[in-house]
Amino acid sequence: MSVDEIVCREFAELATDYLEGAMPDETLELVEEHLAMCDWCRDYLDQMETTARAVAAEPAAAPPGPGSEPPPAILDALVGAFRARTAGEGDG
Amino acid sequence: MAQPTGPAAPSRGTLSADRDERLLAALRAGDEEAFAGLVRRYHATLKRVARAYVSTDSVAEEVVQETWLAAISGLDRFEQRASLKTWLFHILANKAKSRGARERRIVPFATLARAGEDEASVPPDRFQQAGDTWPGHWAMPPRPWEDPERRLQSLEARERLRAAIGALPEVQQTVLTLRDVEGFDADEVCALLDLTDGNQRVILHRARARVRAELERYFEETA
Repeated sequence: MSVDEIVCREFAELATDYLEGAMPDETLELVEEHLAMCDWCRDYLDQMETTARAVAAEPAAAPPGPGSEPPPAILDALVGAFRARTAGEGDG
Repeated sequence: MAQPTGPAAPSRGTLSADRDERLLAALRAGDEEAFAGLVRRYHATLKRVARAYVSTDSVAEEVVQETWLAAISGLDRFEQRASLKTWLFHILANKAKSRGARERRIVPFATLARAGEDEASVPPDRFQQAGDTWPGHWAMPPRPWEDPERRLQSLEARERLRAAIGALPEVQQTVLTLRDVEGFDADEVCALLDLTDGNQRVILHRARARVRAELERYFEETA
């Protein structure tokens, strides 16, 4: 980025790069300068972090829906294959 | 390059090393309940990753089943250099990649992934426009969320959160699930989905931005 400041609209797109620690030094400097004086963008950043934490904290966040659990017949077959492995070891 | 101590993104492995150890011992001892639990826990997410490489749900389902069979026969050789979960997802990704290469999926995931790149994280009309006093600065700034941790525990908030995740485009849902729900780090997600680093980050950003917008609506409505 060749400009000497960033504006809020740009920061809104950079928030994740910032949280991920994935920005070139010069951009990072501009972002930190911006954050130092912009309460609103700090609020936005907080909300992005809160969002990520909320997703992480939601045990059932993996979206439900068709196919979210294996069909019982498949599960049985897989458990059967697992049992056969154990049985095979016992025999050998 | 990277700031040394940026605010840490959540990276909470759902299987801690300790649980991993116990689970592995149970599996090796032939504990069927432990195995069934593992299948129930990861089947859907594995299928989601498989879908990044193959064209139909039913092929993805086959790839996941092959993965479980490979995991069963590989249990004794698993050396714990990675977590059980990582090992499982890598088996899956390898199988899905070769299956996808054979069937030459017409639209690769990485192409789908680029589709949403231009979308704005925040609607453009929330920023001041060219003729305004401070173009590009907030016109309608986000309002701070009060006590978000507590309010996000309510049943209603959690439903909204789940619905927001469920409404994401497939690619965003997959990346968000792997990063924020399953706790994989960026490099692992890039490897599992064959994405570049930058691509992965853009997708994660789009996904979190959409979910944030939905939570913002929820907080405004219930303020």
